[in-house]
Amino acid sequence: MLDLIWLIPLLPFIGFLINALYTGRIADAHARERTAGYVAVGAVGAAFIVAVLAFVQLGQLPEEARLHQVVLWTWIATGSLNVPFGLLLDPLAGVMLLLVTGVGLLIHIYSIGYMHGDKRVARYFAYLNLFITMMLFLVMGNNLLLLFLGWEGVGLCSFLLIGYWYEKRSASGAAVKAFVVNRIGDAAILLAMMAIFFYFGTLNFFTTTVNGIEYPGFIEEANRIVGVTVGIPGQTFLVGTLISLLLLIGVTGKSAQLPLFVWLPDAMAGPTPVSALIHAATMVTAGVYLIARTHTIFTPTTLAIVTWVGALTAIIAATAAIAQWDIKRVLAYSTVSQLGFMVAAAGMGIYVAAIFHLLTHGVFKALLFLGSGSVIHGTHETQDMRRMGGLREHMPTTFWTYLIGALSLAGIVPLAGFWSKDEIIAHAWKHQGDVGYLLPVFFILLFASALTAFYMGRQLALVFWGKQRDHHYHAHESPSVMTIPLIILAGLTVLAGGLNLPGSHWLTDWLHPVLHEEAAQFSIGVAVFATLLAVGSGYLGWWLYAVKFANKITVDGKDPLYHWTGDIWDSMAAAWYFDALYNRTIVPAYRSVAGFFATVFDPQGIDGIVNGVGRLFGRASNGARTLQNGFVRTYALAFFLGVVVIIGYLITAL
Amino acid sequence: MSFELVIFLVTAAIALTGGVGMIVARNTVHSALFLLLNFFAIAVLFLLLHSPFLFAIQLTIYAGAIMVLFLFVVMLLGVESIEDRTKDRLAGQLWLSVVLTLILMVQAITITLLAEPVESQAHNTALLDQLADPALIGAKLFTTYLLPFQITGVILLVGIVGVVVLHQRAHLYGPLSETEREFAAQYVAERATSGQPAEPAS
Amino acid sequence: MVETSYYILLSASLFTLGILGVLVRRNAIVVFMSVELMLNAANLAFVAFARQQGNIDGQVLVFFVITVAAAEVAVGLALLVTIFRNKQTADVDAISQLHG
Repeated sequence: MLDLIWLIPLLPFIGFLINALYTGRIADAHARERTAGYVAVGAVGAAFIVAVLAFVQLGQLPEEARLHQVVLWTWIATGSLNVPFGLLLDPLAGVMLLLVTGVGLLIHIYSIGYMHGDKRVARYFAYLNLFITMMLFLVMGNNLLLLFLGWEGVGLCSFLLIGYWYEKRSASGAAVKAFVVNRIGDAAILLAMMAIFFYFGTLNFFTTTVNGIEYPGFIEEANRIVGVTVGIPGQTFLVGTLISLLLLIGVTGKSAQLPLFVWLPDAMAGPTPVSALIHAATMVTAGVYLIARTHTIFTPTTLAIVTWVGALTAIIAATAAIAQWDIKRVLAYSTVSQLGFMVAAAGMGIYVAAIFHLLTHGVFKALLFLGSGSVIHGTHETQDMRRMGGLREHMPTTFWTYLIGALSLAGIVPLAGFWSKDEIIAHAWKHQGDVGYLLPVFFILLFASALTAFYMGRQLALVFWGKQRDHHYHAHESPSVMTIPLIILAGLTVLAGGLNLPGSHWLTDWLHPVLHEEAAQFSIGVAVFATLLAVGSGYLGWWLYAVKFANKITVDGKDPLYHWTGDIWDSMAAAWYFDALYNRTIVPAYRSVAGFFATVFDPQGIDGIVNGVGRLFGRASNGARTLQNGFVRTYALAFFLGVVVIIGYLITAL
Repeated sequence: MSFELVIFLVTAAIALTGGVGMIVARNTVHSALFLLLNFFAIAVLFLLLHSPFLFAIQLTIYAGAIMVLFLFVVMLLGVESIEDRTKDRLAGQLWLSVVLTLILMVQAITITLLAEPVESQAHNTALLDQLADPALIGAKLFTTYLLPFQITGVILLVGIVGVVVLHQRAHLYGPLSETEREFAAQYVAERATSGQPAEPAS
Repeated sequence: MVETSYYILLSASLFTLGILGVLVRRNAIVVFMSVELMLNAANLAFVAFARQQGNIDGQVLVFFVITVAAAEVAVGLALLVTIFRNKQTADVDAISQLHG
């Protein structure tokens, strides 16, 4: 079974091919929609089954043997660069695999209901399957280049799916924005890749055997660059710091961290299942996965920066999430914030906690997004929370599952979010003596998690409590094809904490061969304090919007808290004006450069060269044309001249 | 100076005279006659070179058939003095040609002088007399040079066909005769009155 | 016995005269005659070399040249007649439609 892991990415790819090449040609709309859905779900479902079997088999191996690589073919072989097209399965890839295929499967099923009636549904499912394929390449690639292929592939699918409703200008704009912002990070990853190849001579993660030849892996040989510096005399940098900083830039792009997080809130223009799958559960966590995968080359300097990036992202996004009206934007900023938690955890060196939070977050944030999709679906494409209210009675299943997700996100015992988030915060508290910055980071993260509870309480109150404020629609519960995935995800949310409970710490043990970490010690004091804080601020958020100011919320009105906070509220709503900053500084400069190229350099420079060459040859041939004067005797003379010259040359050779 | 050399020099002078005369003569008929003189001289030179068969062929085919053809065409078209009517439009063609020709001549002399002497059979009169037998040429033609010989036959056939076709084309696409004109006009008129488009019958 | 080189020089002179005729004369028939002159010059050289080599192949080649020349003259003159019918002239400079 372990040698068949190439089936896992292949199956969704086959689904993609069928939906892309065949399904779109079915004439009957109903048959087309049904076929597309079944093919896509079947492909991902089969991949999930294979993944589970492979995972189980991996678990049966002795701990030190839990690294299986399958080299399919030599991908690139030029000079000293030898990149195999190889897949790897180890405990870290295994848990990611289950998350991607498992949550992906549920979201595929949900999509059948959510996308019902859409006229381009075959294309939607084709993109979704391609995304799963690429995500699996990202997770399973046994070298950095294959990981990068997946990294770019998921970026492409993200672009295609954000802009899925491309008739909407906001959707196509958001797609372009996501793509362009991600390019910045991708360029850094490319540079990091070149640097790694330069210093290690390989892009493989682990030692790989291709055709009997062993190629080393840079993860295992990370100590080769310890102490190696580069730079001008007087100012040198550690190579490890530079490479890991470049990787960090890539992470900030893909995982929506400061300062490149601006694309993720806009990415909500895509279909809601896409937001759940790509922009909450899987793709955006790729950065955390990348850090965990390559953690051996991260130096203390970079780790400090990683921690600060994560912590600041967590607090900034959390404050921004408070002030949003769009149900999906709240979740988007919440995702950015939670990714900040993961990145901060990775920065603090607790990769298991980062992966743990990644997994639980993947489950409950997918649940929340799908729940919000269900709300949007049931309220006839309403996304503004001011137009909702009182949906608790109309959509009971959605409400209960959403409540579980929200409580989990808020960090309420005993749901999954509590355990994973607590591990991060507790670590910062207990190790505050190790490095100076851990204490401020602890307080930042604690405050961010309190804000998380607050905005989830606010959202619950706005959506499900009170009275329906806009009566232009008749709210109804979603079909069972949508609610069943919600129920399953809610169940997983309840149970997922069990992955790494303080007593059993299964995940820590499972990931030990990769991350070599000891189980974290549970701190009852921090846990109780954090829970009380979460309950308190969550209740405050709910109470303010469901009880105290319930009557002050009006359609298109101001937030009740705006009265006391004013400009601060505006700043939070605009995510502290990062977008405005970029729009004022980078975008105009970029635009003017692009404008210069479009209106001056291209027509006059490039076209000028091309047209100039054409004109030159036109003139030259006009001149050469007159040589062809039609008089046979001239031709004969030229011919004769040639004869004389050649004979002359032959005479000299005599 | 041997007798043979004297004959060679005289014949060579006649041949050159014929060549120069052909180029210089204004009247095309005169050109043709000068060329004829040249052919005769070359025929004599063939005889001097111990090849009586070529002497005969030169006289019958060149001096006989080909020259007659030339004269026939000249007389048929009446182009005896075509160049006298117009001035040469290609400026510089004349002196460039002369210069290049002189260079070529110099080159020819140089090559002849520079050539290394090779073993010559020219003195072996007995062998040359033996080779003068036309039967040997015939034998060569039908053994060693059989394929070129066949090809030559094909070329002659193609030449015949080509001439006939050229004549046919000239006939086909030449100006219509008066009868043909009348027929065409009548055809178009009939079509016009019957309301059908005036298409040429296939 | 006359040296082969004499014949070659004579042949070269005749050939050069032929070239001159082709390049200078505009009457298509004279141009044709000049070509014939060049062919004859070549024939002369062939026979002279054949004598020097003491074999008969040179003479056989001359036979071929004469035969093909006969065909060439026939076709060439037919072309000339056709052109003359269309152009009413045998001036080679008059046939210069194929210019760039």
